[in-house]
Amino acid sequence: MRLFVIAGNSIRRLLRDRTNIFFVFLMPLLLILVLGSAFGGAFDSRVGVVDVGSGELGEDLSRRIRGISGVVTTAYDDRDALVLAVERGELEAGVLIPRGFDQALRDGEEATVDFVARPEASAQALRNTVDAVVTEQGAILRAATFARESAGSDFAEALRMAEELAAETQGLTIEQQAVGEPSAFQEMGRFDLGAYSQLLLFVFITSTTGSAALIESRQLGVSTRMLSTPISMGTVLGGELLGRVAVAVFQGIIIISGTSLMFGVNWGDPIGAAAIFLLFALGAGGVGMLMGAVFKRYQQAEGVGVMIGIGMGALGGAMVPLSIMRMFSPTLYQVAHATPHAWGISAFEQLVLYGGTVSDILPQLAVLAGFAAVVIALGTWRLRIALTRG
Amino acid sequence: MRESGKGLVLDCRGLRKSFGQLVAVDGVGFQIAEGETYGLLGPNGAGKTTSISMICGLLARDAGEVIVDGKPLTSRSVDAKRSVGYVPQDIAIYPDLTARENLTFFGRLYGIGGSELKARVDEILGIIGLADRANDRSEEFSGGMKRRLNIGIGLLHAPRLLVLDEPTVGVDPQSRNAILESVASLSTEGMAVLYTTHYMEEAERLCDRIGIIDHGRLVAEGTRRELVELVGKHDRIRMRASGAIEDAAAAVHGLDGVRKAAASADGIDVIADRAADSLAEILGIITASGVAVASVDVDEPDLESVFLHLTGRALRD
Ligand SMILES: Nc1ncnc2c1ncn2[C@@H]1O[C@H](COP(=O)(O)OP(=O)(O)O)[C@@H](O)[C@H]1O
Ligand SMILES: [Mg+2]
Repeated sequence: MRLFVIAGNSIRRLLRDRTNIFFVFLMPLLLILVLGSAFGGAFDSRVGVVDVGSGELGEDLSRRIRGISGVVTTAYDDRDALVLAVERGELEAGVLIPRGFDQALRDGEEATVDFVARPEASAQALRNTVDAVVTEQGAILRAATFARESAGSDFAEALRMAEELAAETQGLTIEQQAVGEPSAFQEMGRFDLGAYSQLLLFVFITSTTGSAALIESRQLGVSTRMLSTPISMGTVLGGELLGRVAVAVFQGIIIISGTSLMFGVNWGDPIGAAAIFLLFALGAGGVGMLMGAVFKRYQQAEGVGVMIGIGMGALGGAMVPLSIMRMFSPTLYQVAHATPHAWGISAFEQLVLYGGTVSDILPQLAVLAGFAAVVIALGTWRLRIALTRG
Repeated sequence: MRESGKGLVLDCRGLRKSFGQLVAVDGVGFQIAEGETYGLLGPNGAGKTTSISMICGLLARDAGEVIVDGKPLTSRSVDAKRSVGYVPQDIAIYPDLTARENLTFFGRLYGIGGSELKARVDEILGIIGLADRANDRSEEFSGGMKRRLNIGIGLLHAPRLLVLDEPTVGVDPQSRNAILESVASLSTEGMAVLYTTHYMEEAERLCDRIGIIDHGRLVAEGTRRELVELVGKHDRIRMRASGAIEDAAAAVHGLDGVRKAAASADGIDVIADRAADSLAEILGIITASGVAVASVDVDEPDLESVFLHLTGRALRD
């Protein structure tokens, strides 16, 4: 396939230039270190727990929370102290196990565990972990109840009871409460952007500045020369695009595998993450192509490429979390969704924070695919004009 | 005229292209047969490159048609482009790739692969005299070497029609000679060659037939002899001179027995019925207008005088 001949040639030329080797290999490695230390397991989450008077089962739940890896728990005496600590940012979250928790469960009554956090995305991840622990305790409680109640009764009776118990929830619910203000701008360092925001920001900039290479091909006259060979315009453009996207995907693989292997950064469902990343990289490549058609000079495209890359990234929530953007300006939040970044980030949030899979991010994937299709079509059209209309 | 019995490789008609208000090519058409070298001769800006770009399907045309080796060719054609080897006027190679890598890359685009490609690349490297520099990056090459590599790429797939757009511009005389010789040998192998130039000597030396192009129009076409006969039985007087040559040429133009007079790059060109009758008078007028004449040549008409005769202007850089 001549598509791959062109793509391969573009990669070969990219790697021949030492400064590009820096961007292709070292920048991702640098990002791995930065992202790994920021989002990897190196920092534990601080969770406060109030379990005063909650009884045996309450203390059991408290122990289980303490046992979660990556979580450091501190005991608090009452709700007010806990909420204050969360508000001050001394804790990422607080868990309130109510007085009489043990007795309520034993009596088959409702028991509610409160989860307190600031309205930030990281809180959602913590909440999910705490949820899992509570569910786990619930399952064991069910089994225990089942064993006790079924002792002495006949098999059919035990089975009936088991089914009944399985269908029923144990009366355990978690209620989430948001307290305090979200982190403000002076607390940039504490923004929870997710490693994926940084990845998308980086890949997009690589692609848009990559448009400079396309302009170079045009200036060298080789793009026109390629058109004199027996290959279609689509193959010429597709080959150039493929070369760029291949480099972006390669960098993505380095960054994702490096951060997850070395620092345990969570990227969520692998297939979902690959789908988001690939479609995003295609769209970014398409923007690069469009720029390669519109601009006439190499330096112009490089400069504007960085500006567009950073500008769209900032607008799309790669610098300030979308959740915070929504609180400050709902309009801005809506405008943000004109960028592929916002959709890519929202899809990654589904995977990473809520444990979603591909089926949960279909709308985001569709938008990313649509964006890629539109910019690639526009880029092809403009490039064809730029090349054959004189 | 086209020799009968030989197949037509290029047939283009009514080519037309405007850039905004400017009509760059206006109804250009010609035919080239197998083994024939056709020269498109005209000054800078005459429309040579624009015509060639349309012929090779690189530029969308406003009107006209192109048939190469029996197949119509447009900017969207793929298959028909197999028959064409295009050598652009501006060197189009990757400076950061070696000569071999450049050739191999374009060879693959032409659909050649494997051992055949390697053999072909070696062969071309020999033809363009770059075998010993094959693995050097082309940015290290001299202008002439780059030109030769530029041409080599167009030869890779042994095209039926080789299109060379001013291949000797900016080349030292030695490289230029080598290029002209290899082009001459290509047409003996049966390749049809379309060669554009603004150098009259190149067109005279290489081309079986010549089309003279000016302001986007083909003003005359034929063999060298046919073209020169257009001027009739006249003499060409060429003077190397300096000073107000434009004014002097205009003054000479009005003389009896003078057909055309125009300032050239380094003097004044005159076409006269009989040089012997008019020369004394011409020189008198010229020196009277304060122009210093360094040398005078009297010749049979050549393509230069044909151009002068047809357009009233000198064919100059
Ligand atoms: N892409 C273009 N846009 C506008 N004008 C052009 C373009 N290409 C060529 N021209 C104009 O068309 C005319 C013919 O140009 P060209 O075909 O390059 O001439 P030549 O090759 O004979 O020197 C010139 O006046 C040139 O300025
Ligand atoms: Mg030209």
